[in-house]
Amino acid sequence: MNKVINTGWEYLRGDKMIWMIVIFLFIFSMLAVYSATGTLAYKMQVGNEKYLMKQIVMALGGVLLMFVTHMIDYKYYSRIAQLLWFISIPLLVYTMFFGTELNDANRWITLPVLGLTFQTSDLAKLALIMYLARQLSLKQDQITDFKEAFIPILLPIILTCLLIAPENLSTAAILFCTSVFVMFIGRIALKHIAMLFGVSVIVGAIFLAFLFLLPDTMLKGRMHTWKNRIENFTQHHDSDDEDYQVQQAKIAIAKGGLFKLNPGGSDQRNFLPQAYNDFIYVIIIEEYGLIGGAGIVFMYLFFLYRCIRIVIKAPKAFGALLAVGLGIALVTQAMINMAVAVNLLPVTGVTLPLVSMGGSSVIFTSVAFGIILSVSRNIEEEKTLETA
Amino acid sequence: MSKDLFRNRYQVIRIINVRFALIFLMRLFYLQVISTKYVALANNNAIKELDVYPTRGMIYDRKGELIVFNEAIYDLMVTPYETKKAKGFDTLKMCELLGITKEDILARFEGMKKQKGYVRIPNVFAKQLSLKDYSRLQEYMYLFPGFYGQVRTIRKYPHRVAATILGDIGEVDDKQIAKSMGYYKPGDYVGKSGVEKVYEKELGGKRGKKFSFFDVNGRDVGSFGAGEFDTLPISGDNVIATLNIKLQEYAEKLMQNKKGSVVAIEPATGEILALVSSPGYDPNLLCGAVRGKNFNALLTDSLLPLYSRPTLATYPPGSSFKPIVALIALQEGVQGVDYGYPCNQAYNASGVIVHCSHPHPSPTNLQYALAQSCNPYFCQTFRNSLEKNAGMTTAQSYDKWVKICNSFGLGMKTGIDLPSEVRGNIPTVKYFNKIYGEGRWKFATIISLGIGQGEVLTTPLQMANIFACISNKGYWITPHIVKKITDPVTNKDVTHEYEKHIALIDKLHFEPVIEGLFQVVESGTAKAARVEGITLCGKTGTAQNPHGDNHSMFAGFAPKDDTKIAIAVVVENGGYGSTYAAPIASLLVEKYLNDTISAKRLEMEKRMIETNLLSKYGVKTNKSAGMSVETEE
Repeated sequence: MNKVINTGWEYLRGDKMIWMIVIFLFIFSMLAVYSATGTLAYKMQVGNEKYLMKQIVMALGGVLLMFVTHMIDYKYYSRIAQLLWFISIPLLVYTMFFGTELNDANRWITLPVLGLTFQTSDLAKLALIMYLARQLSLKQDQITDFKEAFIPILLPIILTCLLIAPENLSTAAILFCTSVFVMFIGRIALKHIAMLFGVSVIVGAIFLAFLFLLPDTMLKGRMHTWKNRIENFTQHHDSDDEDYQVQQAKIAIAKGGLFKLNPGGSDQRNFLPQAYNDFIYVIIIEEYGLIGGAGIVFMYLFFLYRCIRIVIKAPKAFGALLAVGLGIALVTQAMINMAVAVNLLPVTGVTLPLVSMGGSSVIFTSVAFGIILSVSRNIEEEKTLETA
Repeated sequence: MSKDLFRNRYQVIRIINVRFALIFLMRLFYLQVISTKYVALANNNAIKELDVYPTRGMIYDRKGELIVFNEAIYDLMVTPYETKKAKGFDTLKMCELLGITKEDILARFEGMKKQKGYVRIPNVFAKQLSLKDYSRLQEYMYLFPGFYGQVRTIRKYPHRVAATILGDIGEVDDKQIAKSMGYYKPGDYVGKSGVEKVYEKELGGKRGKKFSFFDVNGRDVGSFGAGEFDTLPISGDNVIATLNIKLQEYAEKLMQNKKGSVVAIEPATGEILALVSSPGYDPNLLCGAVRGKNFNALLTDSLLPLYSRPTLATYPPGSSFKPIVALIALQEGVQGVDYGYPCNQAYNASGVIVHCSHPHPSPTNLQYALAQSCNPYFCQTFRNSLEKNAGMTTAQSYDKWVKICNSFGLGMKTGIDLPSEVRGNIPTVKYFNKIYGEGRWKFATIISLGIGQGEVLTTPLQMANIFACISNKGYWITPHIVKKITDPVTNKDVTHEYEKHIALIDKLHFEPVIEGLFQVVESGTAKAARVEGITLCGKTGTAQNPHGDNHSMFAGFAPKDDTKIAIAVVVENGGYGSTYAAPIASLLVEKYLNDTISAKRLEMEKRMIETNLLSKYGVKTNKSAGMSVETEE
């Protein structure tokens, strides 16, 4: 038995620590999802184990996907990035008009042959970060040039974010911030970034003013949701009439205690909508206490640290930017999900990478991990070559 | 090379992320350890404080007959989760038992989905099943896992009368909730009108509290702390009403298809024996699930069945007012009992002509004038009261006159224990000064008051009350509807002392007036209402009504000595007082005193019951009387 595991472990290349993080997160995911989906299973009139099985299949598929993607030489991803980004743009447009509506937002499309539903923004996110890594590495020679580097790199970011924004503002905002981080790492001139920051603040302020000064009747589509969430967050913070979801989440946290372990014993899963998805983190805290919650935070931070370690070792700019860009994207998403769960940020629809139950999110997250591992595998192998 | 490229900048990212992580770990610590609010809220999900409702007090009539009680009905509840766990239930049998279709069942389950988390909590599946339906269902309960019956109570009125007096209960409104300082909660039931409203505090009892554990699935899993924090509800007190429900039923029967009122009072105690507002309605109409629908139908009925006429409707008392006019004249010494006045069928008060209603010999004394209800005689009597009072001006005399009227409870509220009552009207000196100018009015200006017309207005309750006062020879007790309040557990009674009001008339003046009222029935205008063996005294009244036919009125009391009942009857648009009001009053008195109607008078009884005046009110049928509720025997 030991031997089987050992040989399995042998096949995994790249940073073993990252593999361990992935496995740790997946295990947590299965525990929490199994616990949290009881209500959903009942509502959908299926057995309690159905969602666990689904999640196990997803996790195994995710590991397989990581394995496949990490075996590909990362240099190919430069081309793939370009291709993916060019595909993602029409897909986003298609989703906006023909996507499946869920909670008033067109975020989903169904692949015709496979019958698989996925969130287009998940693909676009991955594609943009990869494309950004490619662009940044290609422009390294004139990276401080406004016209030659800054603008051509910024434009794809803005295009993708604008296409995501109407249906999923928070994802667009997070993606934009992540992209700016990656640009910053990619040595874009600080003054350009400062300028971008300034413009963003102004645009953001105008947008907020627009949202709050216009009468409700003139707001369209998702605007009501945005306004409500911001209002809920700013006005009812810790007050008695705060949002039901937020309040139930806080109750879950309060019930968790510091060191209390109570696996599968969450009560709040019955009161908290989306407990298995966007709010999985509070279920983990309720069942595994502050220690469990801190453990998850630590895992993501450790993951970021390992990504940065890859960057330091990466011989080529593309590999470094690819790894750190995807790493930052995943960790930022995780941080924001957890911040929402503890009510530091208004409610958004962002999942906790690898932990939340969810189809397409797992697929694209796994691919991202696979690509990072691919970079690390190449570094290791080159190092072996050098030493050999 | 990349080392140099990125070293400085990745540090920044790392620091940002670590800071961020630290911030929300601190936040977590705050929510878990420092803030206590959410721990308290967490308990809220587990231990619930439940209200336990007391049973509302019952209402009995003066003879101990139950007139309002609580009936157990059943709500059929279902917890879908449990039904599903047991792999469904026998829908066919359920359809058969409840008389519904399979689509109905599906629709009911669909309807529950509005409630958050409905699958694990009990939902109402069928509302307000009668005991009969429920017991049939109970036999087959094993076929319906997840279903159970929850007992509730609704008010029931076995006699189906006295709706406006007994009143009804309904959901408490926002104003009452605010006033109750947190006692009432939305959805609570309180008395909305009548006795139910006035005696809400006594009938309502006191809510208890029960602390129960609920598991995460919302199921009650037993009491918390072995029930030591629970408080038991205190049942409402029973109310013993002064009504004689048999008399009430008979009165409502006599008044059917007529608009009007009947008020019967026991003069010695001020206890209301019957209080009829016609048309009435079956009080069961406003109970339970049908309340909302029926309430609207009653509210929009042009006959105003919800309007409590005995205390709210005012009429000019007409000739029924003449005994008061006579009494005041005697008291003021402006004329004696033997005072005679020639009646030539018309009285000329400085150009204002008052006619007499029918030809009769000139009255030579007060009794005869009362018996014949002679208008000129009482115009003159009223004039004497205003002008012959030694040393007083007309205005001063009239002021005195008003004060004496007030002492009979006229122009003011009687203080009855019902939620709404109006004062009626006795115009004051101030009022006439305002209309005509000070010193610019005299007896001729206000002559119609002498025969109970003009500005004077009385409620049927006030009418009955002045005759109670006359029979008492000078005093009346605040009329009331509740005799005593009984604690159902200790059987202790609480009785209220009601105020005795003294009329400003000396006792000796009542004898001749009572004699005159006796003559009214014996040989005068109401002789058709004479009852063999009963010394009924009274006075007919025919109140002029600018909106249609005159109102038929009669007020009186019996027996003449040791009076048991004082009564006032108003039949709107009924014409002469002797046509309907006097016969109805005499039948009620006979029924009350003899318990039966003599054979001779059965024909009259039948005629009164069958009289239908609805066409005078512009309707063909009495919709509200036609409405009924199914009741289970």
